[in-house]
Amino acid sequence: MLVALIALAGVAATVGAPREARAEIATQYQTETDLTCQCGCGLTVHSCNHLNCGSGIPLKKEIAEQIATGKSREEILSYFTAKYGEKILSSPTTTGFNIAAWTVPFVVIALGGLIIGVVLVRWRRATDVPAVPATATPTTDPTLRAKLERELDELERRS
Amino acid sequence: MSEIGRLAVVLGFLVALWGIAASVLGALRRDERLIASGKHAAYAFSALTGIAVAALLTLLLRHDFNVEYVASYSSSTLPTWYTIAALWGGMKGSLLWWAFILAICNAVVQLQNRDKNRDQMPWVTATMLMVGAFFLALLVFITDPFERLPFTPREGSDLNPLLQNYWMTIHPPSLYIGFVSTTVPFAFAMAALATGKLGDAWIRTTRRWALFSWFFLSLGNLFGAAWAYVVLGWGGYWAWDPVENAAFMPWLTATAYLHSVMIQEKKDMLKVWNMALVILTFALTIFGTFLTRSGVISSVHSFTQSGMGPFFMGFLLVILTISIGLLIWRLPLLKSRNELESVFSREATFLLNNLILVGIAFTVFWGTVFPVLSEWVRGVKITVGPPFFNKVNAPLGVALVFLMGVGPVIAWRKATAKSLWRSFAAPMGTGLVVGALAFALGARNFYAVLAFSVAAFALATVWIEFWRGMRVRQAMLGEKPWTALSRLIGKNRRRYGGYVVHVGIVMIFVGIVASSVFKLEVQRSMKVGDSVSLGGYTVRYDGIHQESDAHVDSTYALVSVWDGEGPAAVRVGEVRPEKRFYKKPKQPTTEVSIWSTLGEDLYVVLGSYDPQSQLAVFQVFVNPMIAWMWIGGVVLALGTAVCMWPSYTERTVAVSARVPAGSRPA
Repeated sequence: MLVALIALAGVAATVGAPREARAEIATQYQTETDLTCQCGCGLTVHSCNHLNCGSGIPLKKEIAEQIATGKSREEILSYFTAKYGEKILSSPTTTGFNIAAWTVPFVVIALGGLIIGVVLVRWRRATDVPAVPATATPTTDPTLRAKLERELDELERRS
Repeated sequence: MSEIGRLAVVLGFLVALWGIAASVLGALRRDERLIASGKHAAYAFSALTGIAVAALLTLLLRHDFNVEYVASYSSSTLPTWYTIAALWGGMKGSLLWWAFILAICNAVVQLQNRDKNRDQMPWVTATMLMVGAFFLALLVFITDPFERLPFTPREGSDLNPLLQNYWMTIHPPSLYIGFVSTTVPFAFAMAALATGKLGDAWIRTTRRWALFSWFFLSLGNLFGAAWAYVVLGWGGYWAWDPVENAAFMPWLTATAYLHSVMIQEKKDMLKVWNMALVILTFALTIFGTFLTRSGVISSVHSFTQSGMGPFFMGFLLVILTISIGLLIWRLPLLKSRNELESVFSREATFLLNNLILVGIAFTVFWGTVFPVLSEWVRGVKITVGPPFFNKVNAPLGVALVFLMGVGPVIAWRKATAKSLWRSFAAPMGTGLVVGALAFALGARNFYAVLAFSVAAFALATVWIEFWRGMRVRQAMLGEKPWTALSRLIGKNRRRYGGYVVHVGIVMIFVGIVASSVFKLEVQRSMKVGDSVSLGGYTVRYDGIHQESDAHVDSTYALVSVWDGEGPAAVRVGEVRPEKRFYKKPKQPTTEVSIWSTLGEDLYVVLGSYDPQSQLAVFQVFVNPMIAWMWIGGVVLALGTAVCMWPSYTERTVAVSARVPAGSRPA
């Protein structure tokens, strides 16, 4: 089924309008996704399909008009930011303080990873310290010990 | 009736205060009479809260519009089922509903532990009553659900039409049960910290409660997604709205806890971390409640802006101060064995799983509060919408599903290169084949290909676990396949139930990826008889009908669904997308109509409609594999049921505990 769907999507992506029109449709779609509807629904302009939405419908029209003037997606977004303020963008920009929005989650996760790494190494060292006095010599037959290790591994794997 | 309700709330609040004082003093002085009094107060709190809920429900069903809450959230024409749902449809009712669920949890905890955990129970009682007292205090001092109006309106304002939907009658109760029941593990954690009995007893006692809570949080989130999908009409089910995020965050930390607690049980490790996760999960439920009621962050789900915010924030600070203070105080007693033989082990994998789960929770929290932060720091309002959350969480989600495949199979203690190869060669191969197949068939979205590949890997590991276990039983005991499978699960419900839950989660994950990446949509203005084709379907607009009753005017389109495009298309059914105009709130709503198959949903929305020309605007979506999300939810529920079902030993112990010693056969 998954196979059929992926094939369907692949076919769907290749048929339809001519190349230029497809490019315009793609820009329209991307720009609508980059902007937030101002009606309070919390959706992007593209997703908002409220009946007679006072924000979504005019914004979609305005995007189409901007595309018709030959502007790029970035230029159109700058136009909307200048007109409505930064809140119209559906995600924070990647400049100034807004960089924190994008980077802090990954920095925090990386720090967490680092802490876990350090902790794991410390625990690993603690495990390496022999639990019995160094003077005690193992009396177990090495073959039996290897067998025990294998069986313990197997048991752990199954538990 | 309103007087009875009001009196019950006030008495419930006073009884809770007494229960807290009696339990704490009783525990400190080791006074059994005070402890017993605290316990009785807990039962009384439950009974009084139940009376208050019954009173409000009666007022709603009687349509007593002199009561402000009844007038605001119901009407005489509102169907009975939604009149009952109005109980939690407004802020006041929802606070009472919260207290009521807590009261039930409290009573069950008291009953379950009447002969157990004697040292901890006074602290458990005090903690749960403290939470209960807070909610009833809001109802007593700030917002009275039984408030009477100086006049009696002829008719109520009615329940918000968006809430008049089947899913809305089960989504909030599920979420509330999930939220509120996190109080139980939290209360036992606080009791463990207070008494210094920090062994595994509190974890064993609350194991099922933690799972119960997680289960309802899962259902609550899924039901909410289903509601958004069928009601909001934008073709999706999750918009990363602050309130959706508020429900998602505790689910993530609760999931992390369910995994890390296994390490504590098996290896006596991560004691502090598990405490922290329990505290964090509970705190996030209060934070979520704060978000919906403070008006700090705008959301489509919010109750009207109220003065509740500071109280919830204050309560949250009190909880965090007390719990973190207790945790720091008890740190010396929370020393774990903390031994690790290898970083290639199940212990290490679970730690990574926790890192990613808590990392996603932090990302969601960060994205939710960042607009407020931006306004504080820069004085500029910004939006953090779905594109941000999707971009940041996509790699984390894929990593999580990958670990979901690794965790169950990798050995405890230490995995050797040989055992890693033996365990992962086949699943890795499966993942690579599926990824290559997706690419070969035209999928060019990197994350989609990776996600399908990783999902196949995770499913393959679960499949191999079941297969190997079955084969061992068949070989050793000569059992037939189904007997071997059922006994394999029955003998280790927690482990194999967990695997079933993993399968459910992977199904949900695949549904999310497929429906997000391969979604198709078209908007078309159509005359009667016109048709439009999309994704292998053709829909034809056959006409429009109107219906009306005392409650709602409805206009629905008859749209036939054809499998295929062009002359070869075969008619397979009909959908009826609808526009409703509710009469009391005078509000239009969109009722989507869905032709659902296992492969995809054909999702049809009636946009605008001109009665003269019968010209209608339709929005048609083909959402691949959405059904797998809901089926995944059912599988998740089955897996959780398997995990929670008592084992034979537990049932035998429970029965023998109930049978008096003298009455047992010799």
